[in-house]
Amino acid sequence: MTDKFQAFMILGALVLLVIIFVLLKHGKMTVKYSLLWMCLSLVLLVFALFPYVVYVLRDLIDVEMPVNLVFMLMFCFVLLVLLSLSIAISQLAEKSKRLTQANAILEKRVRELEKALRQSPDEKNGPKS
Amino acid sequence: MQTKAKILVLIPCYNEEANIVKTVERLRELCPEVDYLVINDCSTDRSAALLKEHGYEYLDLPVNLGIGGGIQCGYVYAAANGYDVTVQMDGDGQHDPAYLNAIVTPVLEGKLDMCIGSRFIRREGFQTSFMRRVGIRFLSGMIFLLCGRRVLDVTSGFRATGRAMTEYFARHYAADYPEPEAILAACLAGFRVGEAPVVMHERQGGVSSISSFKSVYYMIKVSLSLIIDRLSIKRVHKS
Repeated sequence: MTDKFQAFMILGALVLLVIIFVLLKHGKMTVKYSLLWMCLSLVLLVFALFPYVVYVLRDLIDVEMPVNLVFMLMFCFVLLVLLSLSIAISQLAEKSKRLTQANAILEKRVRELEKALRQSPDEKNGPKS
Repeated sequence: MQTKAKILVLIPCYNEEANIVKTVERLRELCPEVDYLVINDCSTDRSAALLKEHGYEYLDLPVNLGIGGGIQCGYVYAAANGYDVTVQMDGDGQHDPAYLNAIVTPVLEGKLDMCIGSRFIRREGFQTSFMRRVGIRFLSGMIFLLCGRRVLDVTSGFRATGRAMTEYFARHYAADYPEPEAILAACLAGFRVGEAPVVMHERQGGVSSISSFKSVYYMIKVSLSLIIDRLSIKRVHKS
């Protein structure tokens, strides 16, 4: 790995890490969803700082080019993140469905109460006056 | 029909301005003793205005949930208001309120938890197209394989449910094309499901929710959902 490439990798990993922290700080992302991203950027940073780790891993699973291993790992990570997003979306969809249903039932109650109020003010005021 | 029993008819309505008034009027005329509730699933046509204008009983969903979420909303309402029998009936004039008694009676008598109005028992009236019948036969066979119960008209949206079944559906109900899935889920959860013969009409206007273009997607999606339901719902045997 050339020095230039290594510097580029370190820079990229750091930028990703900073972006995640900024998003967290401004409340644009919750900690729950940031954990996977944080892992990804930390692993990238370790690979960039200590390429030796990649070489050992490469020997372990017999990948020709060390960089391919990095690509493969990153791809797996991204798949994980996407899966977790699909899960999150499904849960949100279920919650919003429940909310919509509750809202519709409440709306009907409000409508009926308003109707009942409009019809009965005379009865209410009648005995007083 | 016993006068004591509280019966609620749910009528899902999505862009049914051509049929909804006729459907509700006919129901009120033939079955004045039952309550009804139109579920307007965020229609983009004049359905909502028509419902308001005529002073009908209706739920107005603020966002479109699809038939599954919409009907489930009706089941939640029915469960919360203590109805003995909840009937689901399409808003497009396919289902005739004259047959309401036929599907409600087995549930009221406690013989069934869910009674489906089936057009294939006596084979009278509108029998739908050949391709759809093939599809329905396939899903029917699949449900038979997965839970051992033979239901002929699995896509029929004309069905009556008892109190326990209604409460179950208020908690779990399939999302997109729920009719076949609801049958399998009910069977697996130990409810008694059966059919009663009814006559259906061809829809009187508007467009069906399942167009021919979507039917392939429909079959794949429903088949997959059925298999997943079979794997995920724990079988309960009620004696």
